[in-house]
Amino acid sequence: MRAASERARRWVGLAALALLSCDRHVEPTEVLPPLQAPSVDAAAGAWRMFVLDAPDQVAVAAPAAATSDAFRAEVAAVKAAQAAMTDAQRANVAHWSGGGVLRWNQVMRELVARYNLPPVPRPDGSYPVPDAENPFADPQFPFANPPYAARAYAYVSVAQYEALKAAWHWKFRYGRPSPAKVDAGVTTLVPPGDLPAYPSEDAVLAGVTAEVLKLLFPGSVEEITRHAATQREAALLSGRATASDVTAGLALGRSVAALVIARARADGMGTAGGTPALWQGMASAAVARGEVAWVSQESPARPPMLPNFGNTRAWTFTAAELAATSPGPPPSTSSERMREDLAEVKRVAAHLTREQQAIAMKWNDGAGTYTPPGHWNDIAAEHVRDARLSEVRAARVFALLNMAMHDAAVGCWSVKFQYYNPRPSQLDPTIKTMIGLPNFPAYPSGHSTFSAAAAAVLGHFFPASATELAAMADEAGISRLYGAIHYRSDVEGGKLHGRRIGDHVVTLARADGGG
Amino acid sequence: MPQRPTARPRPVRRALLLLAFLAPPAAAQGVGDGVLLPARTLAAAVEYDLERWDEYWEGTLLRRNENIGTLTTRRARLWTGYGLTDRVTLVASLPYVRTDASDGVLRGMSGFQDLNVAVKLRVLQAGLGGRATLRGLVVAGAGAPTTDYTPDFLPMSIGLGSRTAQARGTLRVEGRNGWFADGSAGHTWRSTVHLDRPAYYTDGQLVLSDEVAMPDVFDYVVSAGWRGRGLAVPVSLVGQRTLGGGDIRRQDMPFVSNRMDFTRVAARVAYALPVFSALSVSGGAARTVAGRNVGRATTLTGGVAYARRF
Repeated sequence: MRAASERARRWVGLAALALLSCDRHVEPTEVLPPLQAPSVDAAAGAWRMFVLDAPDQVAVAAPAAATSDAFRAEVAAVKAAQAAMTDAQRANVAHWSGGGVLRWNQVMRELVARYNLPPVPRPDGSYPVPDAENPFADPQFPFANPPYAARAYAYVSVAQYEALKAAWHWKFRYGRPSPAKVDAGVTTLVPPGDLPAYPSEDAVLAGVTAEVLKLLFPGSVEEITRHAATQREAALLSGRATASDVTAGLALGRSVAALVIARARADGMGTAGGTPALWQGMASAAVARGEVAWVSQESPARPPMLPNFGNTRAWTFTAAELAATSPGPPPSTSSERMREDLAEVKRVAAHLTREQQAIAMKWNDGAGTYTPPGHWNDIAAEHVRDARLSEVRAARVFALLNMAMHDAAVGCWSVKFQYYNPRPSQLDPTIKTMIGLPNFPAYPSGHSTFSAAAAAVLGHFFPASATELAAMADEAGISRLYGAIHYRSDVEGGKLHGRRIGDHVVTLARADGGG
Repeated sequence: MPQRPTARPRPVRRALLLLAFLAPPAAAQGVGDGVLLPARTLAAAVEYDLERWDEYWEGTLLRRNENIGTLTTRRARLWTGYGLTDRVTLVASLPYVRTDASDGVLRGMSGFQDLNVAVKLRVLQAGLGGRATLRGLVVAGAGAPTTDYTPDFLPMSIGLGSRTAQARGTLRVEGRNGWFADGSAGHTWRSTVHLDRPAYYTDGQLVLSDEVAMPDVFDYVVSAGWRGRGLAVPVSLVGQRTLGGGDIRRQDMPFVSNRMDFTRVAARVAYALPVFSALSVSGGAARTVAGRNVGRATTLTGGVAYARRF
């Protein structure tokens, strides 16, 4: 008996040890080392603009000279603030030192994941539409689905890029050094670098990003404003900006945001939801062509996701140019190719390996997540971090990536609703899915389109990873076949379409002055 | 004062012990009661659960979902107990689980789930005025998945994928006339789990990791019943409170680290075959009466058990 309880005790001890030996805490966010870019990219003020006409379109008044009493007083104020810094403020400085573009990209991915939930049906089986004027209602606004998210990532990234190029223009025009450069008594809490401080790039980012995000996620204004305030505070406490650097940066950022928001208000998103007449017409047209038309397999049947998003304004194409990138029609629903495709979906689903299941899960990026464009922002963030890009160059990567994915979304949605093709589980109800079934037509695969476009753009910026990125895009595409929600022809069509759009954006990138 | 250990079990008494063992409170897997096997007695059982729900708590909101309809979980569980001594019993269980949704397009899953083992150690035994016996147990348990199933497809996933360690205390009173009552409470520590994806959103936060921190779990079991004449009939109240974790958001899928709470009532009957008392059959039912981020489930259970002394 004694031996038994001894044995029991030893066994319990072993079990407890096995558990305690592993760390049960999970770090929620990427740890970003302090950004120390090898190049300040002094010429960025002359890089191609997308929304602004010129880098000096928003005027920034000349600052007080670095030798002036006013400036000395500001530097003294920085020193005083540093002397009274709390631990929380110090942690905040460390947080933002990883790079404002990267940190805001994280915030944006979080907002998308928070708002990527479809409306709940009413008791009568109809679905309410999220209302931007009433974001806290049920349903909350927005429903940050993939097209909404692609557009949101693009607007924020483009606005940041435009604002930073303008900031770089004024920085090198005025050349006023940071407080840490002029006064050895200022503690440098972030790598000092040689970037002129006026206007503050941190304040520019805080101003421009907060304004655009507030438009896109009006239910999270308080949180967005808080992030912006902590970034401005970090600029000052880190020793790289004075109060006038911050004030000028904030004003510049907000002014650029106003120009970008004017574009957003007129880009056609307001009518992307379409009308019942619109999507019934699409279904009738498919039937008239002799095809099986897509139907919602949700219960109660849900209106298709943003059927008119394909008419939203693209960033790098005219409507006609974008239409020319189309991969063409899917195989007819009555064709031999479609029968083979459908049989393949069924066969793959029936013999799904754990590895294939993991691939389907990895790229699922469905409701409640940061969406496929968010996944590619996540991937881009790792490359941007490792490459130690200056803020303006980091913004360039995200802007071109997200313009490409927005245009991929517009192009893909246009083709999807042109052909209105059914999902595998509609043609064969015995097919069950490994992931949530998207509520819109199948052809071509959105994941494949987004991913091929993203891999092309990122492969251009990070050529050493181009092969790996292309393989990831292929995996993202085929994951939809593993999940049993797409045919191989959807995946191939999407890849072709995404590649064309991505290559077009790469052509722009080669000629935009950014190298 | 501890009483002299009970007399060597006669066949009928052994059958009754087995019955008590075979009729554990729902989902407690033989660790939430104060029953011990006699020394060198091996018990083995096969149980089958049929669990169904067509309503679930999305956070605290009870709702239906026409894209799931009725969710059915079938479990075939093999479990075994061994009386190392009269004071120490080892138990182990392993279920095979299969899930199916009646509506919608989501695919059901199946596979062997988690192996759970526990050691039940008697630390107290005292007579209560000659009419009843009080027994106190401490229990230590551990569990781990036996297969590489994904916990990231709830409610279709067959389990949560976490390794666990459990500590609990149990008190049992047995009356001479066959009445008994158990009270047991446990704390379970859970390891992180890994998903197949690089990020997830839960509890108001985007987490840029494939690893999920799992909150600890507190649970309790209170049961009472009667046994005699080849029958054992316990009724139980079972509760689980997850000590942290987020709610399912409106119209979102459940997530592995959600705050999964429930209160369940259960009843069970076990019967020792008159001709071959080492073999017994049992049946039971349970109903979830309150919950959070779980289904409002009804469970039917049947089982066959066999025991012999070596």
